Amino acid sequence: MSEKGFEPKIVGFLCYWCSYTAADLAGISRLKYPPNIRIIRVMCSSRVDPVFIIKALLDGADGVLVAGCKPGDCHYQKGNYYARRKVALTKKILESLGLEPERVMLSWVPASEAPKFAEVVKEFTERIRKLGPNPMKERVFV
Amino acid sequence: MALGVIYTGEPEAAIKDFVKLLMKHKDIQGAVIPVKMEREGSYAFVFTKSPEVVDKSSPIAPVMPVQGARVLSKLTKRKPLTKPAVAVLKPCEVRAARELSKINQVCMESFITVSFDCPGVYPTKSFLKNADALEEEFKKGLKGLSVSGVRPLCESCTYFTGEFADFEVQFAGINEVRIIARSQRAEAILKGLGKAEEVEERDKKAIEAVLEARKKAKEALKTEFAEKVSTPEKLLSVLSSCINCHNCRSVCPICFCRECFFDSDSLKTPPHLYLERASRKGGLRFMPDTLLFHLGRMNHMSLSCVSCGTCEDACPNMVPVSRLFALVSERTRAIFDYVPGIDDRPSPFLEYREEELEEYEMPYYEARS
Repeated sequence: MSEKGFEPKIVGFLCYWCSYTAADLAGISRLKYPPNIRIIRVMCSSRVDPVFIIKALLDGADGVLVAGCKPGDCHYQKGNYYARRKVALTKKILESLGLEPERVMLSWVPASEAPKFAEVVKEFTERIRKLGPNPMKERVFV
Repeated sequence: MALGVIYTGEPEAAIKDFVKLLMKHKDIQGAVIPVKMEREGSYAFVFTKSPEVVDKSSPIAPVMPVQGARVLSKLTKRKPLTKPAVAVLKPCEVRAARELSKINQVCMESFITVSFDCPGVYPTKSFLKNADALEEEFKKGLKGLSVSGVRPLCESCTYFTGEFADFEVQFAGINEVRIIARSQRAEAILKGLGKAEEVEERDKKAIEAVLEARKKAKEALKTEFAEKVSTPEKLLSVLSSCINCHNCRSVCPICFCRECFFDSDSLKTPPHLYLERASRKGGLRFMPDTLLFHLGRMNHMSLSCVSCGTCEDACPNMVPVSRLFALVSERTRAIFDYVPGIDDRPSPFLEYREEELEEYEMPYYEARS
C-alpha cells in the first residue's frame, strides 16, 4: 500500500459516561472528524483489558485509542485511574519488546467537549498515518 | 542480635529438627514440606502431621516441579486452616505466597513459613535424566551456594535468603546453622517453646561473594536476553516453538484465576471465521493467538512475577518463557517502583495515585524526547 493510499484503521474504546457521550455530541453537532475510528463503547475505561488492545493490534488495527472521563470525573470515582495504570503497563510491555507503543493512545474527553473529541481523533489518525501501516497485522506467524 | 536457635551439622537435618520442634507447639498443626518420592526420584510437597514423614523429607529439594505458593493457595484460598501449619519454602515460594496473599489467594496467618539460603534448583527435565549424580553435586555445592546447571533464573536470583519468611535459616558462609525469627509471631512461638536464645545474625559479608556473582549473572542475562527479543522478528523466533499449550500458565503461582481469560469463549474463533482471519493476514499460524497469549499474560501477571522460573521448567518445547517474563516484569514494575513479594504495598493493580503517569497520557514519542 502506498503511503498516500494508506487509510489507518483505528479502534477506539470509549467510556459510556464521558468519551462516548462526547462522540455522540460531536455527531449531533455535525462536527467533522476522520472516519477511520471504529468505536466500541465500554461502560468504563477500566473495563478495557490490555488483552483487548493487543488483540486489536495483532489482528488488523493500526492504532488503539482508549478514552475515558477526566481524572477526578469518573462516573465510578476511580475507574480511569486504574485504566491509566493498565495502559501504562501495556505501553511498557510493547516498548520492551520493540512493538511500537505509539500505536496505543490514552486520552481523557469530558462529555460536553465534542470539539475535543474530534480533535483527539484527528490528531491520533494523523499520527498513525505518519507511522504507516501496522506491520503486525500482515504478519502470518503471530 | 535476634531471637533464634543454633544447630550444628547439616542444614537439612537442622531444618527437619526445627520443623519437628515447631510441630510440638500447641498452636501448630502439621507441616508442608518437600519429600522425595521413592519411586519416581522426583520431589513433591507433602502436608503431614506426622514427625516420621518430616524425618524422611528433604527440606532443600534440588528441583521444584510445583511452586510451593500454589500448595499454600490450594490449602487456604477458601478459608484459613483451623490452626497454622509450618511451611518449608524456598525464598521465591515465600515471595509468591506473600504476593498471592495480597489478592486473597493465600492466608499467610495459616502458615509459619521457614525459608533458607537457596542455591537454586535444577530444571526438572535435566534432573530426571541424571538424578543420582546431580543429587550428589547439589549436596556438595549446598553450603557454598554454588551449584552449576541450575535454572537460568536461579543463577541470577538476588533474593536467595529466607529473610521474608517467619523463620530464616542461615547456613551459607558460616559454620553452624542459625535459625532466626523474622516476625513477632515467630518470636512468640520460640518463647512458647522455651527455646528463644539471643543469636548473632550472620555478617552480610559472608554471602557477599555469592550476591555479587548472582548480580553479575543477572546483568548478563538482562543484556544478552534483551538483545534476543529486541524486535518483533526476534521475539517471534524465540516463541516459534511454542505450541500454545498454556502449561506455563498452569504452573505459574501468580496465575490464580479459576478460568483463564485465554481459555474463555471471548477469545475463541468460531471455525467458520478462521478463513476470514487468514485471508485478512494472508495466512494464519496454528495454533492461533500464541503471541496474544504471551503478551496478554504479561499484562495480567508481570507486575507480580517473582521470577521463580517454574514456567520454563514446565515448557515442553524449551521456550525461554521465564527469562522473557522476568525481563519484561523487571521493566513493567519499574513504572510503579514495586518489587513483588517484598513490598508491603498492595499490588499496583489495586491502588492508584491521582497524579501519576502523565507521560502515558500523551503519545509516547513526545514523552520520550
